[in-house]
Amino acid sequence: MRKAAGKIGYFCSLVPEEIIVAAGMKPVRIRGEAETTSDADGYLYHNLCPYIKNVMSTALEGGARHLNGVVFARSCDGMRRMYDAWKSYIGTGFVYMLDAPKNTDDRAVSYFASQLKGFAQALGIASGKEITPASLSKAIQTTGKLRRSMQQIFSLQQSALLPVEGSELFKLGLSVFGDDRETASGKIDALYQQARTARAKRSNSCKPRILISGNVMDRADLFEIIEAAGAEVPASDLCTGLRYFTRNVDGEKDDPYIALARAYLGEPHCSRTASPVQRAQEIQKLVETYSIDGVLLTSLKFCDQHLYDVPYITKALADKNIPVLFLENDYTFTNKGQMKVRVEAFIEVLNERGN
Amino acid sequence: MLKKFYEDMTRALEAQYEQKPRAFTKINIQLFQSFIDAFKEDARVVWTSYYSFPMELLAAFDIAPFDFEIATNLLPMMDPDGSVKIMSRAEEEGYSTDLCSFHRLAIGCQMLGYMPKADLLLSSSFFCDGKARTNQILAHFYDKESITLDVPNRVDGNSIEYVAAQLKYIARRLEETAGHKLDPERLRESIAASCRARSAYGRLADIQKEKPYSWNGSIALNMSIFGNMLAGRPIQERLYQDLVDECRSKLDSGKVPPEKYRVLWLAWFPPQPTVINEVFRKNGVNIVMGELERIFWDEMDEQRPWESMAMWCLKNPYVGPAGQRLAGIEKIIEEYDIDGVIHFSTDACRHSCAAHRLIADVLQKRNVPFMVLEGDMSDKRKYSEDRTRFLLESFIDLMAARK
Repeated sequence: MRKAAGKIGYFCSLVPEEIIVAAGMKPVRIRGEAETTSDADGYLYHNLCPYIKNVMSTALEGGARHLNGVVFARSCDGMRRMYDAWKSYIGTGFVYMLDAPKNTDDRAVSYFASQLKGFAQALGIASGKEITPASLSKAIQTTGKLRRSMQQIFSLQQSALLPVEGSELFKLGLSVFGDDRETASGKIDALYQQARTARAKRSNSCKPRILISGNVMDRADLFEIIEAAGAEVPASDLCTGLRYFTRNVDGEKDDPYIALARAYLGEPHCSRTASPVQRAQEIQKLVETYSIDGVLLTSLKFCDQHLYDVPYITKALADKNIPVLFLENDYTFTNKGQMKVRVEAFIEVLNERGN
Repeated sequence: MLKKFYEDMTRALEAQYEQKPRAFTKINIQLFQSFIDAFKEDARVVWTSYYSFPMELLAAFDIAPFDFEIATNLLPMMDPDGSVKIMSRAEEEGYSTDLCSFHRLAIGCQMLGYMPKADLLLSSSFFCDGKARTNQILAHFYDKESITLDVPNRVDGNSIEYVAAQLKYIARRLEETAGHKLDPERLRESIAASCRARSAYGRLADIQKEKPYSWNGSIALNMSIFGNMLAGRPIQERLYQDLVDECRSKLDSGKVPPEKYRVLWLAWFPPQPTVINEVFRKNGVNIVMGELERIFWDEMDEQRPWESMAMWCLKNPYVGPAGQRLAGIEKIIEEYDIDGVIHFSTDACRHSCAAHRLIADVLQKRNVPFMVLEGDMSDKRKYSEDRTRFLLESFIDLMAARK
């Protein structure tokens, strides 16, 4: 492995980037860039989620060659199996499975901390740079600073006068997952300054406010469909949205590994680490915080973690008089036309309720 | 409705046992009786997973264990159309047909009020994501606690300690549910009984190496899933030994039909009626072993019950990287003189299906024919008799060509 400016890819928000940064490496969230997933069909069964299939296809086409290593987490059955296939057929130098617990109690935190230490040791050896308490502490600070900058903009999005279009903010967030974090960080700071003044200038908006809630999404298509149909997206409860940026690691109080474990297993939860009841409660909290008029639940096809939750969450929100629309997606949004029709109808319902 | 089904089945099985006393009939009676017990008014009912939870712990408490997956998915065996109607109830509520039919059927039964009560719900993070999720969904109906035993991906000191600590916590919750303290001696006895049953099960596995195969492959596969309900109870050893004796007696009598092909079956065997057994019978094919049928766990140590139960979980072929599973498959091929391997792929079973390519590569190196047989465990709508027959007959041709 190259020692300078190496890139470590990861797939799931349960992988603490801080450890990768502390090893002097650049964390890169892996996205699928293949036009079709047919390459992956020979390696992974057709019933796996389209994100996994797309990433595998991308890697089979050579799209992971720029990475010095990849880190998986025990996120779901599909990821566990992609890890097996990746090790056998892709062969990126450093391939690591981080054993992230399913539970979030103190026993799980303690176990996760031990696994994070193991990951840090392995990465330290692979990168040639030992991860020390000081380097980890510094990485926690720098990563935390970036997240807090984004949180400042999220705070502004809570106001009735939405200063930044949801799609613009989401795309900016996505740029953080690439390999030029410094530029992304500068843009976040600039957008915050701009948003503060814009908030004062914009007139009151009567557009319905929609929360997008789902799993991994690294394209802004759904945001753009909603905005084009006349609504706003103040917040996105996604692996690549609020769930990444609102995670705060308190590296001051605890052992840094305990602090990381606690933060990554804590709120905000995804469907993997929370029961449907907890998930519904967390979504309701977001509805209140961001003055949401309707929730658009979305899930990758074949994502068991989310699909099992949909009926319960839909009912729980409906019981609170919160309109919900559920749309499955295929990761690359090839069904945009159908989505547009459903979204427009949903917005019409929200408009009628608003009048 | 479910209760009546179990009672009818128990009566029929008891009559059958009276005519022809066979160990497997007795095991089935035990299974259905366990479901009936869960409906008793004074029962402390603990929902669990017979095949993925260390039942030795539950055997140390005065509770009625109830496996919602197995309990409901015996229905398609007798009434596939009625089962589809029940699943449809869950689908109307928004449970996607992309989700496992096992779970849609259980949720449908719950919605229709067929299930017994639950005082505590236990599940485990393996084999699949869906099972623990369904447990949480079902817990909500009762407003009861759902606990997921989280089983890590690797075996080391930390993971053993982590699983053991969770089991100790679960024991405390079981104490509250059962209304009595855990008696350490009773737990040790339970572990000791499990060890004796393991030895008997080993003898049963050994006798299947002899040719011709002397039992019933699909029954053996299913018993490997629900037989664990008896773990920790002395009856398990007795019944397994009876099975060994029955097989030995059949072999000694010389009445076992000759066999042409010996098949290793991967993943699950569908409870819903299929043509699989019919095609195999006509063509002299025996399923001689299943990947979940082999003894994958170490002998438990009654002096270290918590660690032993943790290891039982951690050693499961579906825990950890696929390498653990592949090693088990290769071992069976060597020990059982396998002619072909079939992976039954129920569409929503992502954890088992997704290793096809790795399995195919391993088997290709060994020149062992391999087929993925797509179908569904319980959903008749996803099963095609013609296609299944065609695929199996083609596979038999392939085995013949290789022999």
